[in-house]
Amino acid sequence: MKKKLAVIVALLLIATLILPGCSQQAQKPAEQQEIKIGAILPLTGSAAATGVKLKYAIETAEEIINGEHPEINMELAKSAGLPNLKGAKIKFIFADHQANPEIAKSEAERLIQNEKVVGLIGCYHSSATKPASQVAERFQIPFVAGSSSSAALTERGLKWFTRIAPHDGMETKFFFDYLKYLNEKFNAGIKKIAVVYIDNEYGVHAFQMVQKTIENYKNDGFELVLDVKYPANVSNVDTEVQKVKAAAPDAIFHASYIGDMTMFVKKYKELNVVPKVVLSYCGGYQDPQFVKNLGKDADYFAGPNATTSALFSKMPDLAKINEIYKKKSGVDIDGPTLEDFASAMVIAEAINKAGTTDPAKVMEVLKSTEFSAPYFVSGKIKFGEDGQNIYSASVMTQIQNGIYEAVWPENFQTKQPIPAFPEWNKR
Amino acid sequence: MLGQVILSGILIGFVYSLVAVGLTLIWGVMDIINFAHGEFLMISMYTAFWMYALLKWDPLVTLPLASFLIFAISFLTYKMIIKKVLDAPGLTALLATFGLSLFIRNLAQFLWTPNYRFITESIVTDKKMAFGTLIIGMPQMVAALGSVLMTGLIYYFVKKTRMGMAIQATALDRDTAKLMGIDTEKVYAVTFGISGICVGVAGVLLSTFFPVYPEAGALYSLLAFVIVAFGGFGNIQGALLGGIIVGLAESLGGFFLGTQFKYAVVFLLYLLVLQFRPKGLFGW
Repeated sequence: MKKKLAVIVALLLIATLILPGCSQQAQKPAEQQEIKIGAILPLTGSAAATGVKLKYAIETAEEIINGEHPEINMELAKSAGLPNLKGAKIKFIFADHQANPEIAKSEAERLIQNEKVVGLIGCYHSSATKPASQVAERFQIPFVAGSSSSAALTERGLKWFTRIAPHDGMETKFFFDYLKYLNEKFNAGIKKIAVVYIDNEYGVHAFQMVQKTIENYKNDGFELVLDVKYPANVSNVDTEVQKVKAAAPDAIFHASYIGDMTMFVKKYKELNVVPKVVLSYCGGYQDPQFVKNLGKDADYFAGPNATTSALFSKMPDLAKINEIYKKKSGVDIDGPTLEDFASAMVIAEAINKAGTTDPAKVMEVLKSTEFSAPYFVSGKIKFGEDGQNIYSASVMTQIQNGIYEAVWPENFQTKQPIPAFPEWNKR
Repeated sequence: MLGQVILSGILIGFVYSLVAVGLTLIWGVMDIINFAHGEFLMISMYTAFWMYALLKWDPLVTLPLASFLIFAISFLTYKMIIKKVLDAPGLTALLATFGLSLFIRNLAQFLWTPNYRFITESIVTDKKMAFGTLIIGMPQMVAALGSVLMTGLIYYFVKKTRMGMAIQATALDRDTAKLMGIDTEKVYAVTFGISGICVGVAGVLLSTFFPVYPEAGALYSLLAFVIVAFGGFGNIQGALLGGIIVGLAESLGGFFLGTQFKYAVVFLLYLLVLQFRPKGLFGW
């Protein structure tokens, strides 16, 4: 009996880990003049903290589109609703994928079949975006991904998929170029590289990109000395950090989310791991909670970011968008959140430009138009043949005194990069 | 290097043990599986966090308060939920606690948002001891010592006190115990309460180095189930040893086979034990 029970227990427990919550939004029946777009996000589960912020960002977009905001220099901000569709309002229908690819898939089906959405955005986790966008492809509905960064997403040859964020292949190249810059300009002497990554689509793919990209940088003296893959749910990262310490890398590339990333930093401090540079793929580092949780210990960490609050003074439209966002969320808008905001704006703009919700026409506009994006450093968005935004220029940010400063490329610099970590006890 | 790995495994293993002791008590004595065990742990972590965030209490100062709070919650859970399903078919109680765990977890997310929070200042934060190349973080050290101490106390309570003997008797045969004049009703409520104290203490100790978030308890309770199966249902020494075995399996397995496999190693061991010793290594 107890043996049987133990097996049931194990199964149920695993189920609780996979299905952390059971929330579904109640929806009201369709109204006229309302265009529904599905937004699939991790609203519960391990990445819920980020998911909730993405939801605020999309609600910010909804407010800008449906309300009148002449102070923001964007086409849809000026008038209420979509001008080319007689002022039709956009309504984002939120669904929760709980960081589970299976649920992302079924929620995409539900949104398309039951809610009759005309487009989809989401899903933050690349592992969830993958099946959800395949559903969109099957139903021939446009999918605009915001912050999902796995390069594999745009390598599938999907016709109905576009993505705003730079993919991890582009980010990896960006990393190496930045390290080269540090070596050349500051004589940083960075050679040995370690990759620490979470065991899911996002992490694994980021690592594959490093393996591939480093081949092109062999002549610059970079070598991969260690890779550490850790489970998606961890109770401690002792072993992981001990491996890093033993390899003593100059630079660590992190593909981690906020909870695990924070545990790593604490352990680096405890075991006195002092690399020269730590670069993070789009994930935990970009979440401002990182600085809040770690205080001074967050300093010197770096990573590409679509935006940083240090840039607000240089970009007035972004500052105004942030005002609306901050009222909802209580925090400043960050990179991934801005990318999901952009996905909401772009799909609404495409529908407006197409003058119809006909998916084929909307998709045509998505693929052929250069969208203005005053909230991005690049200022514009244009999707290539594979659906990847070709302008996805991020800036390299580094936390200095608790602020995400833009440190590279030089023309966006708000502070100079610091190319070495001080000893932990000398901070 | 290997020394450090083994040390980490043992230290975290002690904490696993304490979480498992609470679980194994209820399981052994009442034959009930408390799925909300991890959620009680999470509430304790939040108690430590909020006392720190709002009143600047050090987690170690919060310890008695949190233990009492979780004791009370567990006690009430027994009185209000478990008691009613005690004589129903076995799965009923299981589903009741399962539902309770989902409820608490989602309630926590609703009330406190899913953000990962850390207690950034406490007596133990950022302190460490170094023995040659071995480094022991103070938070882990205190957590491990506290867990061992607590496990010892509970062992003493169950083995040496009058109430403890009543618990043992009830675990062996409820009806006979009742005939002998033992208030089994009280025994059950107290057992549930003690189990709460275990996670109450463990939660506070963990909160000094582990993020506090609504799902923080899930992985710990999963591991606790494995440990209970290792150690034998209702066996406190078993839980202690089981915890250390799991902690070591995790860190050594992770070190030698690759960190992505660290829990796989633990669960593989679990399956093996189930095959050869269904009642656990020290089961009775």
